[in-house]
Amino acid sequence: MAANQSLPLADLFLMNARDAAATVERVAASPAAVFKALEMTTKGARSIVVATGEWLPPEILSVARDLPNVIASPSDEQLARADAGITEAFAGVASSGSICVALGTPLTAAASLLMPLHIVLLAARRIVARPRDLFDGECLGGEGLQRNLVFITGPSATADMGPLVRGVHGPHRLHILLLE
Amino acid sequence: MASSKSRSAQVDSPREIANKSDQGNLLRAIRMALEVQSATIRFNTQDHNRGRYSATEALPDYDALKDRARKIKEQAIAHLPDLVRELEAVVRGRGGHVFVAANAEDACRYILGVCEEHAAKLVVKGKSITSEEIRLNRALEAAGIEVAESDLAEFILQIADEQPSHIVAPAIHYSRERITALFKRKFQTDSPLDTGEELTKFARQRLREKFLRADIGVTGANLIAADSGTLMLVESEGNIRMSSFLPPVHIAIAGVEKIIAARRDMAPFLELLAASGTGQKLTSYTSFLNPPLDDPPFAMPGKPRKTREFHLVLIDNGRLRMREDPVLREALYCIRCSACLNACANFQAVGGHAFGGETYSGGMGGAWEAGTAKLENARFSELCTGCSRCVTACPVRIDIPWLNENLHERLNHTDESSAISGFLGAISSAAEKDTQIPSAKIFFGNFHFFAKWGVRLAPFSNAMAGKKFARIIMERSLGIDRRRALPAFSRRTLVQAARELESRAGKRQETKAVLFADVYTNYGLPERGLAALRTLRALGVDVVVSESIPEGRAALSQGMITTAKEQAGRAANALEPYLTAGRDIIVIEPSALAMFRRDYCHLLDDKDQFERLRMRTFEPVEYIVRLLEKSGRRAMEIFDVRRSPVGSRIFFHSHCQQKTIGCAAPTEALLREIGFDVATSSVECCGMAGSFGYKKDYYDLSMAVGADLIQQVVAAEKDGGPRALIASGTSCTEQLHSGLKRPVQHPLELLAAVLKT
Repeated sequence: MAANQSLPLADLFLMNARDAAATVERVAASPAAVFKALEMTTKGARSIVVATGEWLPPEILSVARDLPNVIASPSDEQLARADAGITEAFAGVASSGSICVALGTPLTAAASLLMPLHIVLLAARRIVARPRDLFDGECLGGEGLQRNLVFITGPSATADMGPLVRGVHGPHRLHILLLE
Repeated sequence: MASSKSRSAQVDSPREIANKSDQGNLLRAIRMALEVQSATIRFNTQDHNRGRYSATEALPDYDALKDRARKIKEQAIAHLPDLVRELEAVVRGRGGHVFVAANAEDACRYILGVCEEHAAKLVVKGKSITSEEIRLNRALEAAGIEVAESDLAEFILQIADEQPSHIVAPAIHYSRERITALFKRKFQTDSPLDTGEELTKFARQRLREKFLRADIGVTGANLIAADSGTLMLVESEGNIRMSSFLPPVHIAIAGVEKIIAARRDMAPFLELLAASGTGQKLTSYTSFLNPPLDDPPFAMPGKPRKTREFHLVLIDNGRLRMREDPVLREALYCIRCSACLNACANFQAVGGHAFGGETYSGGMGGAWEAGTAKLENARFSELCTGCSRCVTACPVRIDIPWLNENLHERLNHTDESSAISGFLGAISSAAEKDTQIPSAKIFFGNFHFFAKWGVRLAPFSNAMAGKKFARIIMERSLGIDRRRALPAFSRRTLVQAARELESRAGKRQETKAVLFADVYTNYGLPERGLAALRTLRALGVDVVVSESIPEGRAALSQGMITTAKEQAGRAANALEPYLTAGRDIIVIEPSALAMFRRDYCHLLDDKDQFERLRMRTFEPVEYIVRLLEKSGRRAMEIFDVRRSPVGSRIFFHSHCQQKTIGCAAPTEALLREIGFDVATSSVECCGMAGSFGYKKDYYDLSMAVGADLIQQVVAAEKDGGPRALIASGTSCTEQLHSGLKRPVQHPLELLAAVLKT
C-alpha cells in the first residue's frame, strides 16, 4: 500500500489484469500521452461517453472530452447504444488485476457497464495489494468503506453457454491505462 | 417401483422428479442424471474443483481467512435479531424500504404489492436461489407480470422449465450442444446458434431490450452489512449490475442469514467466495452497494423518469427455526460458494437434479431443504456418503457430513422398519433407538457384529456370498446389490494371528505403540495388519495389538448416531489405558482413523478425551515417516525397492477421509523416496464409500463414480505398462478390484515386502 511499493505492485497488477483478459497499457500521466492512447483505443468507436472524474488531475481526464465522437450530454437512449465508456478508477488491486470503480459521479455507473468497450484510467499510486485493503479505514482516505464500489476483473464473462465466453451483458473489452 | 419400470424407456423431466420426499423420485432422478447429464456435469464441476485448489493455494492466508469468515458468521447468527433491527433502521434512514417476510407467501405478496403499485409489466431478474425458494416467478407470472431471467443459466432454465442443478452455475448440466438444440426448438430463429459466442450474443440481444424496458429489477445478495445496509453482489455477466442500476425500482431478496454485522467484515469473503466457488481470484464483478443509488434511474423514450426506489425483502421462511436447531444452525453459516458441490464425487456424477431437491442441492442442500421446506425433502442427502472431501473445501468450516448424518438419523425414524429390523438390532446390540429403522441400515451400521460371525463361519460364509440364491435373498431383505462382489472374510482375524506371532522386539523399546484392530482389518484384511507389525517392529517399535471393537464409523454412516456415540465411548475407554502406558495408537483403516481424529469431536462427551485421542492416533505410514525423521535415518537404509515383488511401478489411490485429515501425502512421499515410480489418482473419492456401493439403489451411481478412478489407472499405465495397485482404504480396495479384477495391496504390505531385514 505504501508509495515506495508502488512499482512492484504495478507490475503485479499488470500481470494479473492481463491474466483476467483485460488489456493494459502503461502511459505517462500527461495530457498528451493520455490523449494519444485514448485516440488509439477508441479508433472506430462511433459514440463515446466520458464520466466525471474525482482523483486524477482535471487536465488528464478532460483531454478525453476532446476525442472525436464524444457525446457531451448523452440521453439515456444514447447511453444504451454507445460504443465506448471512459471512467476513472478509484483503485487498482495488484493480487487480482482488478480495478475498483466508485459510483456516484455523473455517468460513471453507465460508462463502466453499458458499452462494449470500457476504458479506465488508473493512477499507479492508487494500486493496493489485495482487495481486502480497501476495507481498511486507513486506505485511500477510507472511502472504500463509504462509497458504492464495484471491483471489475476483466471483461464480463460466462461459462453458462458451454465454453467460456467473454463479453456478455457488461463490456466485452476492458482496457486499462495505467498512469505512471 | 412398478411405475418407474414402465417409464424406463423415456427419461423424466427434472421438474417432475424434483421433490425427493419420494424415494422413487430420487432413484428416477439418479437414472435420468446418469443417462442425460453426467458427462457435462462432471466436466464442469471437476473444472471448478481444480480451479478451487489452485485459487485457494494462491491465497497466502487461506486458513486464517476461513477462521475469520467462520467467526464473523457465527457472531452474526448469534446476534441475528439485533442485526435485523439495525439493518432495517439503516436502510429506512437512507430512504429504502425493508420487509421481513415470515414465509414464502408473505415475501411474494409483498413483492407483488410493489409491482402493482408501479403497474409493473416487466420484471428483470438477476440470479437468486432464494427467489427460487419462494417460487417468486410463479407468483409474478400468475399475476400477469413478465419475468425476464437475465443470468444466462437462469435464462436457459426458464426456457427449459427446469429447476437449478447447482447453486452457483444453475444450468451446469447443459452442454453447448443441448443449449443449441433447446434454443432452436423454442425460438424459431435464423440466427446462428452453434457456438458459445453465438448463443451468448443471441441471449444478450434479447435481454438488453428487457433491461432497458424493465419496470423493476430483482436481485439477491451474497452478504448484507447491518451497519451500513451495504449489499455485496457477486457475478460475472454484468446482469446483476444492470438489474440493480437500470430500472427505477430495485428489489433485493435475501435470507436473513445473509446479514453480517459490518461492511468492514465483508473483506475476508471477497477473495474466499471467488476462490472457493469458481476458482477465481475475483469474479468479474463484485459490487458493494448502499441502495438506493444516487444516480437517476434510466428512462428510455416514452417512459416517465421516476425517482429511485429500493426494497429489501428479508426472508425468514424457517431460518429462525433453524437457528434454534443445533444441527441446522450450521447451515446458516453457509455462504453458498458451491465448493461442497464441486468437491463431491457423487455430485460430480449426477449434479443437483438428483443430488438435490426443488431448490437446494449438494452436501449443504439437505439441511436447507429440511430447514426451509420439510425434512422428507432432504432424502437426497442419502447421496452424502460422509467421504468428507467437502470439509476442507468449506470456507466457513461447516462439518457437512455431520449435518447429513444427523439428517439421516432424523429420516431413519420417519422410515418404516421391517420385521427383521428389531431382530437384527437386538442380536447386534444396536442402541435401542436405532432398532426401529430399515433393516439394511442396521446391517451396515453394525457391520462389526456380522463380520465377527462371517469369520467364525468362514469359509461357509464366503461360499454363501457367491451363491445366487443367497444374493437374491440379501438383495431383497438388505438391499445389497447382487452385482457387487462381497468381501471375503478371513479365516483368522488379525488379533488371532498376532497372538501366534509373538513380538520379537524387546520390551524396553523407546517407542511404544498399539495397533488398533479395526473391524475391517481384523476380520477382512488381517494381512495388512501383520505387515504393519512387521514393519514397525523392524523399525524398533514395541507394538501390540488391541482387541477388536467397533469405533462407530459404520453406525455413524447409517445415521445411527446413538449407537455411534455408545461405540465411540467404549472404544475411547478401551484405548485410554494404552495412552496412559505411553503407547501411540496406530489405525490402519482411514475411515476408522478419521473417527478418532475428527468425528469424535461430536461423539465423545469428554472433549479432553477427544483431544488426547486426536493428538496420539496415527496413520501407519505417517507414523513410519515420523519415526524416520526422528531417528534421522533415510528411507533407503530401511527399505530396498529392488525387493518389491510387484516391481517399482505403482498406482497409489489414497482414501477420501485420509486426504481430509492430511494423511495421504506421507505415503506418497515415502514410496517415492524409496524409489517407487508412483502415479496417483486425483479423484476425490472412489465412489464405494463403505456401504454405499453395495446398496442396490446406488450401485449404478457408485460404479459411475468409480469409472473416473479406473480411467485414471488406465491412463497412468499408457506410458509403459501395468502398475501395481496400492490403496489405503478397504472400500477403495474393493472398488479398484471390482473395476480392474487385479490384486490391490495396502502400502504397508508393499513396505513390509521391501524391508531390508
